[in-house]
Amino acid sequence: MKFSRKSRDRLGLHLILGLVSLVTVAPYFWILSTSLKYRTEVFTQIPKWIPWPINIQNYLEVFQMAPFHLYLINTIIVVAGILAIQLVTITLAAYVFGRRNFWGREFFFFLFLIQMMIPIHATFLPNFLTLKRFDLLNTRIAMMLPFFASGYGTFLLRQAFRQIPRALEDAAVIDGCGGLRFLWHVLVPLAKPTLIAFSIISIVSHWNDYLWPLIVTDTPEVRTLTIGLGMFVQQESGADWTLLMAATAFVTAPMLIFFLVFQKKFVESFMLSGMKG
Amino acid sequence: MAKVILENVTKQFGTVQAVKDFNLTVEDKEFAILVGPSGCGKSTALRMIAGLEEPNTGTISIGDRVVNDLPPKDRDIAMVFQEYALYPHMSVYKNMAFGLKLRKFPKNEIDQRVRDAAEILSIQDFLDRKPKQLSGGQRQRVAVGRAIVRKPAVFLFDEPLSNLDAKLRVQMRAELSKLHDRLQTTIIYVTHDQVEAMTMGTKIVVMKDGWIQQVGSPLGVYNYPVNLFVAGFIGSPVMNFIPCRIISKDNRLLMDAESFQLPIPEKKVPYYQSLAGSEVIFGIRPNDIYDRAFAPENIKINTVRSVIDVIEPLGSEIHLNVTAGKHDLIAAVDVQTVYKVHQELELAFDLNRMHLFQKEPPNLRVKTEQ
Repeated sequence: MKFSRKSRDRLGLHLILGLVSLVTVAPYFWILSTSLKYRTEVFTQIPKWIPWPINIQNYLEVFQMAPFHLYLINTIIVVAGILAIQLVTITLAAYVFGRRNFWGREFFFFLFLIQMMIPIHATFLPNFLTLKRFDLLNTRIAMMLPFFASGYGTFLLRQAFRQIPRALEDAAVIDGCGGLRFLWHVLVPLAKPTLIAFSIISIVSHWNDYLWPLIVTDTPEVRTLTIGLGMFVQQESGADWTLLMAATAFVTAPMLIFFLVFQKKFVESFMLSGMKG
Repeated sequence: MAKVILENVTKQFGTVQAVKDFNLTVEDKEFAILVGPSGCGKSTALRMIAGLEEPNTGTISIGDRVVNDLPPKDRDIAMVFQEYALYPHMSVYKNMAFGLKLRKFPKNEIDQRVRDAAEILSIQDFLDRKPKQLSGGQRQRVAVGRAIVRKPAVFLFDEPLSNLDAKLRVQMRAELSKLHDRLQTTIIYVTHDQVEAMTMGTKIVVMKDGWIQQVGSPLGVYNYPVNLFVAGFIGSPVMNFIPCRIISKDNRLLMDAESFQLPIPEKKVPYYQSLAGSEVIFGIRPNDIYDRAFAPENIKINTVRSVIDVIEPLGSEIHLNVTAGKHDLIAAVDVQTVYKVHQELELAFDLNRMHLFQKEPPNLRVKTEQ
């Protein structure tokens, strides 16, 4: 059977892509596989990719040893809280910078952009001291507060708002829909793709946040999944790889499921932020 | 239904004066058209009536109210934009209902008004569609529908047909004229297209550089333009302008254009007598220049020799670009014969329809009417 040159090229490309995909996916698969193994099956001469019989006891033990369910709730609260407030602040800021004229507008927007250039680690100490002064350390608010405003989100949304033609605003004003009503009824619905893109980026980055939550939290009651996993690795699991992998699988599962469900939006969001940013 | 009055209205953007001392009255139910070249201030004037721009000086009245301090939503106006300005995320129905919903109209009244307007504009089948699923003409009708449901005192149109193709423009012109007839509402319409101005309006306002040049009926402005600019802007093809000198010769008054001389008709002599010896600009519309071979008998004596440069057959008539001595002219002649480029042609001028304009700015037309 003869293959055309196009088919041969495509076959070659698919082989390369398949290999790269395999290398990328393999660690996750190994984590899942190990999490379902018995301890004696972890290190064998011939690696066992598919455990049989499966052992879900590892997961039950992990939940008994550390409150991962609480860590999950805390993470959801922190991520959702940050996102909710961010959506309000960036929408209002983007509206003002994108659609309104006022003295000093360019200067203040420049300050917003400057904020994006400052490395997050440079702000840890002043933010820590501020939270300490207000007695907010070791709270969920402490993990959320510095992220309520987003220079990046403001920039992204401002660009989206500026795309909307002036005639549309004129028509809305004549309809009796000016100012914040125009923002709510027209700008926000039209900027939905940008808002979704930003939301995905915010959720992913704050879900995986480690350093800041580590600095501002002390007790398991407010810990997030990443911190909980870190503590589990250091203190709880010992050298038990099955428990460790079970905990890791549990921590990474929500984002993986989120990605699988919204993968199209993920790609669009990175493309959008790449094009507009 | 309302009268619109603008008194001493000016508008400045930085150092640029877009509208200068604008005075205009649009009577109730009138279809007034602001026409002029790009940048003449017509859209700015319209936006000031709508309340989208604030005048620097002057007053704007709609009905019996001075509306300078009223926001657009309270001026009882509706506006149709060049780019349609439909809300892309809303269906046609919701686009049309949006303004009424914000004003807290009852649901059944909103529904009634939307469906009535849709029926007038033949867009009942599109109510569930989004704007991106419609053609340009359909979108424009939805934009008009959105204005109609408001039942405003004044409709404002800002070059609504500019984005449509030529055929659709002709169709929509007729529909808008019918709509005006049906709704009997004051309309103020902005366009740069003098054909739209001539065919649709009951009153034309010709503008240039922020100033009103002339206000009048379409035929009034066409037949009696106040100055060179209006004469050249209104009418298609453009009026021919030939610099000449008025001379007295053998008890006759003649126009001497160097390449040729033409006699001024007897009935116009009293009006032009005082111009003897002066330099003026002779204006004549292409439709008033004939191929001598097919001209009416009474004008065959006023002839000029020319050479054809370009032939533009339009089907119903032919536009001939000719050179008569030093002067380039356009003649719009009937389709009677076949012409050839470089052919010599004798032109006959209907001088009863001629105009003379002062050579110095503002190039006023010398009046020959009472």
